[in-house]
Parts: sequence; structure tokens; C-alpha cells
Amino acid sequence: MSYKKNDDGLDRMTVFQECISEFNASPINPRKSRTLLSRLLYIVTTGAPFPRDESTQLFFSITKLFQHKNPALRQMVYLAIKELADDADDVIMVTSSIMRDATGNDVFYRSNAIRTLCRIIDASTIQSIERLIKASIVDKNPATSSAALVGSYHLLPVSRDFVRRWANETQDTVVANKPYPAALLIGRENTSSFGYGSGIAAFQTQFHALGLLYEMRSHDRVALLKIIQQFNGKLHSPYANILLIRFASRVLAEDPNVRKPMHKLILSFLNHANDAVSLESARAILAIRNATPQEVEPAISSLQLLLGSHRPAFRFAAIRALNRYAMSHPEAVQICNPDIQERISDPSRTVATYAITTLLKTGNNDSVDHLMSQISNFMLDIPDEFKVVVVEAVRSLAVKFPSKQQDVLHFLADILQSDGGVSFKQAVVSAIFDLVRFVPQAKAEALSQLCEYIEDCEYPFLAARILHFLGVEGPSTEDPLKYVRYIYNRILLENAVTRAAAVTALGKFLLVDKTGSVKTLLERTLDDSSDEVRDRAAIILRIATIPNKKIVADFIEPEQNYSLGALEQELVRYVTASDFEKPFDFSVVPTFTKEQENAEMLQAMQKATKSVDEDITQGASAAEKEQETASAISEKLAAIEEIRELGRVLHTSSAVELTERETEYVVTGYKHIFEKHIVLQYDVSNTLPDTILADVTAMVTPSEELNEEFVVALPELKPNSEGTIYVAFERPEDLFVSFETVLKFESKEIDPSTGEVGEGYLDQYEIESLELSVGDYLIPAFNGNFDHTWDELGNEASATYALEVPTIEDGVQALLKLLSIQAIGGTDHVTEPASHTLKGFARTLEGGSIAVVARFVHSAARGVSVKLVARGEDEMLTQLVCEVFE
Amino acid sequence: MSIWRRLYNWLVSLLWSSETNVVVIGLQNAGKSTLLASLQGSDFSPDTIPTVGFAVQTIVKNKVTIKCWDLGGQPRFRSLWERYCRGADAIVFVVDSADSDLLPTVKSELHALCSQESLEHIPLLVVANKQDLQPHATTVDEMIEKLDLLSIRERDIVCYAVSAKTLQNLDSVIEWLVARAHHT
Ligand SMILES: Nc1nc2c(ncn2[C@@H]2O[C@H](COP(=O)(O)OP(=O)(O)OP(=O)(O)O)[C@@H](O)[C@H]2O)c(=O)[nH]1
Ligand SMILES: [Mg+2]
Repeated sequence: MSYKKNDDGLDRMTVFQECISEFNASPINPRKSRTLLSRLLYIVTTGAPFPRDESTQLFFSITKLFQHKNPALRQMVYLAIKELADDADDVIMVTSSIMRDATGNDVFYRSNAIRTLCRIIDASTIQSIERLIKASIVDKNPATSSAALVGSYHLLPVSRDFVRRWANETQDTVVANKPYPAALLIGRENTSSFGYGSGIAAFQTQFHALGLLYEMRSHDRVALLKIIQQFNGKLHSPYANILLIRFASRVLAEDPNVRKPMHKLILSFLNHANDAVSLESARAILAIRNATPQEVEPAISSLQLLLGSHRPAFRFAAIRALNRYAMSHPEAVQICNPDIQERISDPSRTVATYAITTLLKTGNNDSVDHLMSQISNFMLDIPDEFKVVVVEAVRSLAVKFPSKQQDVLHFLADILQSDGGVSFKQAVVSAIFDLVRFVPQAKAEALSQLCEYIEDCEYPFLAARILHFLGVEGPSTEDPLKYVRYIYNRILLENAVTRAAAVTALGKFLLVDKTGSVKTLLERTLDDSSDEVRDRAAIILRIATIPNKKIVADFIEPEQNYSLGALEQELVRYVTASDFEKPFDFSVVPTFTKEQENAEMLQAMQKATKSVDEDITQGASAAEKEQETASAISEKLAAIEEIRELGRVLHTSSAVELTERETEYVVTGYKHIFEKHIVLQYDVSNTLPDTILADVTAMVTPSEELNEEFVVALPELKPNSEGTIYVAFERPEDLFVSFETVLKFESKEIDPSTGEVGEGYLDQYEIESLELSVGDYLIPAFNGNFDHTWDELGNEASATYALEVPTIEDGVQALLKLLSIQAIGGTDHVTEPASHTLKGFARTLEGGSIAVVARFVHSAARGVSVKLVARGEDEMLTQLVCEVFE
Repeated sequence: MSIWRRLYNWLVSLLWSSETNVVVIGLQNAGKSTLLASLQGSDFSPDTIPTVGFAVQTIVKNKVTIKCWDLGGQPRFRSLWERYCRGADAIVFVVDSADSDLLPTVKSELHALCSQESLEHIPLLVVANKQDLQPHATTVDEMIEKLDLLSIRERDIVCYAVSAKTLQNLDSVIEWLVARAHHT
């Protein structure tokens, strides 16, 4: 059988047609049908789904296979129906047929049937399977019971209320302790040699039932607490125990009142006979915010033990947990260094890579030397993505231990010459860039290394980046002309892209060159074969002749650069507005000086090295996500005509929760400030499974008289869906206005059994008011020269507050969010629990500055207190910043 | 048994065994599922669950295997009847004779189905079910008239008075079905 043609669509069509004709034939050939189904499954699971009408046709022809009782065929039919359930219409058609298998005597039919049933049922038919599911959950056979429990997870989105009806059966199953009958374990890996004792597959239902119970109650913290207390000590399945630890960990994080008992519970699992359970316990302890060193210590020792496990998965999990903890608390992990050291020669390269990055974090000035020499050998035989991880870790070393810059540079230069793919080379080059930017002693040598590298760099775009960088950094070194030769060589030897970059880079040396040789070299490129290269050379040469030296310098070495993201956004806005009478207004695009840019980069780098781990394992970082939501919000805003007419958004607040998270309607608010207006945004989510809301609008009453400009209401809000309402006002003179809000709508119930929509009635729902605060008038901004700015700014105000937060870290986060300021120089990272100084900077909507220095102190007797000092040009605003906690 | 004997038996079975595909439709509560159960020899049960979608039942009678596609009669399934009738050897349309109020609906559904091009020439058996519920049950003659069965042409069509409860006339139904079978 060949699937090769899957990509070009040919095989898809053949399989489709073969299925249709074979399944509608009479009589049916079960073997052939089964083979065809497996091909079909391959196609739908690896490629795009079939279009809806084709899926529906396939689905109906598959239903014809129910006439055959061959168990192997039936199994495949179930798999195929599950796969097509979301793409075909009228899948409900198979309900009765499946019900027959699900209630029949054959165990193999039964569990497959139940799983499939749960995928095709909808809100109108869920009622008809209630009895079946309840009975199956408490069935003696664990396969049946598990199928019903796992199937119920899929029913939750259909109707949470309905699934809750079998809470009692689920609860009974948690404690029923059904071991898997030996007959069903045949063919599985011998369970005891797998290391879980008889535990892994046995008592599986317990795990499934506990998970379902959690899903049923997860919105209710009290109920969750009850689950934890009720089942603690009664669970046999290791998975179930792991779940229990996770529940406890979640409750602990959300409710400081239960910290003690939950910590005790988690700790009780630390020496569990099953390694997976004890691992989870250790991870949960490390995840406790503000855990004391005494609390953390046993968890670290337990991970240390696991580092020596003979199973690679556990060594991996242990080193990963240690590595993550070392990011914030290197000193706590140091004690394991000897064991981690041993892991560098671990047969698993993944474990070894993590071992190295952990040691780079926990190491001290002395141990780093030794480590670096070890890594060099190690680097030769790991795949590229691990090399990148190691480079990222090394990258921060030079900043941390400036005295090691020589070693770091040599290490980087060495591996730059070694084999590796483009992402690896890029990581190394970026690391060298950092050395140039942040470690002045290393600058000259690092630049030379880059010059060497471009001599035989196989990636043109990387070469272009380096050339640009040489142009930016080279002229300010002691011997700038040294770099000119390297750059000019590229013009002689490379392709057009690289030559163009080299010409621009050369141009940057014009100002420092007193000999005139740079000019001569540039003139030679005027007859280059590429337009781009000639144009660039001509422009630079022409500009250099302008008598006003200020203009020349501004062009060649601009002090300010535009923020490219903002520039792009503004240009797009300008082009879509199509009003070309007015020239594009550059003053609205924020600019950065080189120092600011570097400060930002340093911070980004510190963040990056912190989250290396997450990036690999979990994809996008939190910061990226935040960025994403921010741009999603502004796109949504711009899509609305009335709002577009208000002009540019000067500031958008962070999200404000206007309801509890567990209510029937959950509302999140945002405040958008425009030059003359303010727009309130309400994201409403209807969590009711069987109610449609129509004509949803917000009645907003401001605390001072303001003109309401317009309301963008929601015509309809379906069950379990979300929508957005906007309300616009003129911008108030007073800074602090609160907006009382009531949602109004027509509520219509849907009959769950027929799907009919009932008569509506008018209803309203009061939510928390949105309040404008000082943070709404500030835009977080970087400042590379904070201390200088601080000295320059005239007006000062100060205030002291006792905060109701458990730790300084919480206080810092709260302040950053409330004031909407940017933490400067990594001061948002709290290193000592007892005292901390946060420096923050922001721009006002008018472009002025606000600088804040906040000194936090934490004492057992008085909790967290903060002394806030603010400086700025605007006297009133500076004063108001200090009143933020009032 | 010698291998030759077995081979002989197999050849004979090939010659004589036959299969037929029958689709059973009709409004909800007409007694389709009950009728099929009775044909299979199960006991009559007064509480049944409505059929959601379809279920396949097999009846074996003297070497003839009758595959019955028992379809749900609720309005939302009616548009899907045609899909399953396509290519069938026979259509059995079950009517609740005790509920004369529904006959106009029955009539329009039946005629709509018969006018489908894809179902041309497929033999049709109209079962006037629940004859045991006297004295209100509609008779066969009344049924032919009220459903205007005479206007349906170009296909075999018969109407039997049946009771799935008392088993009245079930043998005629079986006979009719067996006669539609084709040898495989
Ligand atoms: N008295 C009597 N009751 C019958 C007879 N046949 C069916 N019933 C009853 O009629 C009701 C409906 O029967 P079903 O067989 O479920 O009806 P159906 O046509 O399959 O219905 P759907 O599956 O919803 O389309 C049940 O209560 C049966 O007991 C009959 O011949 N006599
Ligand atoms: Mg039925």
C-alpha cells in the first residue's frame, strides 16, 4: 500500500471513490472494507479533512457497514465515525445502531461503542444516553467504565449540567478500586518490569473518574477542596495520586488560607513508592510561590535522587525541574551540582543538555571555566536545537561574570567555525553581538571574530546582519579602518544581497575616515552590476557632499530610530485611510535611542535566558501571548467603522475582570483612550449551555456628566460563546471617572431535548464598574538612562503605603499593572524576600515622562509596605501617580 | 465430513442462499421497530425507545437473509430516508392504523418519497399496523383510499392489515419480503 500520493490529491480521490462504492455494495467484503477504512483514516488524520459534503457522503456510506457483524470491521467503523464526527452532517443517524452495541453483551463492542457515542451526541439527544452512561460508569468491567468516563469528558462541552448528573456514579467509581482483569492486559508490556509495580494499568478507572470529577467541579474551589480531602489516602492508581497532587497545588496557589494543609498533603507524597508520584510532589513543592528554603530542600533532595534513576524519563523530568528552579533560585539547586555534573555524560543527550544549562546557572566564577571546556567537546555530538539551548545559556554567562568574557568569546568563536545549521549559527552570532553591546572589554575582539566568520559564512542573510552590525559598531572603535578591509572584500566576492549590505556598512565609516579611502572604495562600486548596490553607493556618496554636517551625521549615524512595529502599524493605518492630502505624520511614531534599544535588548535577553526551558517545551512565552492579545484587541477595534473615525488609540488598559469567573455571564472590560474620546470595551461570555441572549447592550452611567457618543451592541450571543460590546464617550476632563454598568438583553431558553428556542424575556445583569485611574494615562516606556532622567525631572511627590499582599513580588506586579509603567533594568525581578527597589518609567499621553522609584520592605510584623517616589514634568500627574493606592 | 462433501454443501448453499435489503420507514410510533422484533420472533413489548437514526436487523428465513434497515420516523430523520432507500430491494412503509388523524401526514410523506427519481420501480409494501386496536383501526380498503395508493404506479405495491402484537398477517409480510430476494 502506498500513501505517497496523499499530497497531490490523487490518492484522496481514489480512496474516497473506493470507499463510497465498496461500502454501498452488497454483500460487503469486511476485509477489503477494513483496509479501505484504514486508508481513509490515514488521510483524514494526516491531511486536511474532506469538505463537508464529501465527509457526509463518506459518513453515510460507512453507516452501511453496520449490517456486518465482523468485530474487526466494527472496530474500524467506530474509529472512522469518531474521526468524521465533526466534519459530517447528521452524524446523529448512527445513534440507535451504536446504542445496540453499547448495551450489548460483547465487551469489545461495548467500550468502543460508548466512546463513539459520546462523540456524536448533541444537546438534544444527550438525555437519551444518560441511563446508559450512568450504568456503564459503575459497570464491573473497567474497560466499559473507563470508556464511559473518558467519553464524558467529550460530553462536557455539549452540556456540562447534564454530565454533572452522574457525579455520584463517578464518585463511587473513584473509590471502587477496579483492578484491570488479567485477560485485558495480555499483549501489554509486562507491567512490573515497566517499573510501576502492578499500578500502571490497574485502577485506571480511578484516574479517569477523578479527572472527570475535577472537570465537573473545577469552577468550584470549595468542592475541589472537598474532593482532595475525601480521596486523600484512598487512591491506588499512581496517576490518580498525581492528579490529586495537582489539585492540591492549584488550590494552594489560589487560596493562601489552605497553604498549610495543602503543603502538608503534597509533602506526604514526596517519598511515595512510585517515582512518578514523588516526582510530581517535588515539582508541586517547587511551584509554591515564596516557598522557604526549608520547604524546598526536601523536594530538591528527592529530585537529586531521581537524577540517578535507571529510567531516562525520570532523569529527564528531574533535571528539567531542577533547571527550571535554578532560573530563579540558583543557590537552592547548587547542592545537587556534583550529581548534575555526572549527568553531562548521560547517554540521553537531552538530559545532558539540561544538565549543562542548569550548571551554567548554578555555577560560580570558578566552576564555569571547567564547565566551558567540557561543553566544547559535548557540543560536537548533539543536534542543533540542543546546541541552541546551550548557546543561549552561555550567552548570559558573559554578562553575569564579566571576567569570563574571554573564555565565552573563545567558546563562541570556536563553535561558530564548527558544523551546524542556520538557527544554530544565528544563535551564536546573536550571542557575540551581545558581548559587543554589553561587555565593553570584549568589543574589539568580538568584532574581529565576526569579521573572520563572514569570510566564509554560508548564509547570505546572516552575513548581511553581521555587515550591518559592523557598520553600526565599527566606527566607534579605536581602529575603525581595520574593519573596512573585511567589508570591502565582501563587495568583491559576494552575491548582490551581501554586496548591498556591505555598501551600506561601508558608508557608516565615511565620517571617521580621514584618509578618503572609504570614499574611493565606495566610488568603485558605482558600476556594480546590481541596481541596488549602485543606488546605495550613489546615495551615500551624494549625501556625504552636503555641507551641513548635522544632516550628514543624522543620515549616517541616526541618534534616534523609529520603532519598526509602530511605524508599520501607522503606515498601514495611513494607507487604509486613503487620505493622501495630508502627508504621513512621523511624529506619532515612537523613537528609540541606541541606548534605549540596548537596554530593551538586555532585558529581552535576560527574559529569554530565563524562559529557554519554556520555549522548548511549551511554545510561545507569556510575553508573546500578551503581545498577541494586544494586537488582537487593536485589530478588533480598528474593524469597527465608528471607532476608526475617532482616530488613534493613545492607550489601552489591561483586562479588568468585571464579574466573578464562575458566574453565568463572565465579563472582561478594557478602557481605550483616544485624543477626544474614551471607548469602553466589554467582552461578554455566555456560559449557559442552553440560553441564547439577544440584543445584548450595556447601559453605562458615568460618575460625571459625559456625552455618550455611540454604542456597538451585540445582536445575539449563542450558548457557550463570546462577543464584544463597545460604548464610546467624550473624553472627561477629570482624570478619575467611574462607569457603572448594567448589561441588558433578552434571554431565550433552548429546550435541550428538541433544540427549539423558547419565548424570550427581558433581563439585566449588573457588573462591576469600570474606573479610569492614573494608569490609563501612562504608557510603559523603556529608558536606557534612567538615573540621568531621574535627576533631570523637576516635580517630585512621595507616599508610603502598607499593602495587603503576601510578598514583595506580588506588590511589584500590582504596582506595575496599576500604574502601567515599565520596569527598568530588570528591577521587576525580586531577588531578596525582605526588601527590594523597583524602578519604573512611563510616558504620558502627551509624550512627557514619569519616573518612579518604589522601595518595598517585607517584615513579619507589618507585612509588605512600599515607599513610592515619583518624578515628572506634569505636577498634577506626578502627584496622582503617588496616590495610586488610595 | 469429507472435504468433497463440504465443498458440495457450500456450492449448494451458494445456489440457494439469497439476501435482500429492505428499508422500513413510517412516522414515529408507527411500530416499525416492534414489527421487526416480532418478525424476528421476539416477544411484544409495550414500551420501546424511539429509533434515533437507524438500526439494522437481520431476519433469516429458509436460507433467505433479509437485512432490514429500521429507520427513525421523527420529522428530523425523514429527509434522510431517501439515502437509505436508494438501491434497496424493497421499501416497507408502516402506518399506525389506530391514529387516523395522522393519515394526511402519512399520505404526503409517502407520496413525496414515491416521487423521488432515485427510488423508481422499488417495490413498496404498506403495512397497516396495530390492527388489534379495534374498533378504531382503519381497514385496508379505507387505507388504500385515504392514502390514495392507487395513484402510485410503475412499481409493485401492496397493502396488508397487520398487528405486530397479535402477529396477525406477519407470515404474509415475510412471504412478500422473501419473494423480493434475489440470488447472490
Ligand atoms: N397495540 C399495538 N401496539 C403496537 C403495535 N406495534 C407497535 N406498537 C406500539 O407502538 C409504540 C411504538 O412502537 P415502535 O416500534 O417503537 O415505533 P417506531 O415506528 O419504531 O418509532 P420510531 O422509531 O420513533 O420511528 C410502542 O409502544 C409499541 O408497543 C401493534 O401492532 N399493536
Ligand atoms: Mg423505531
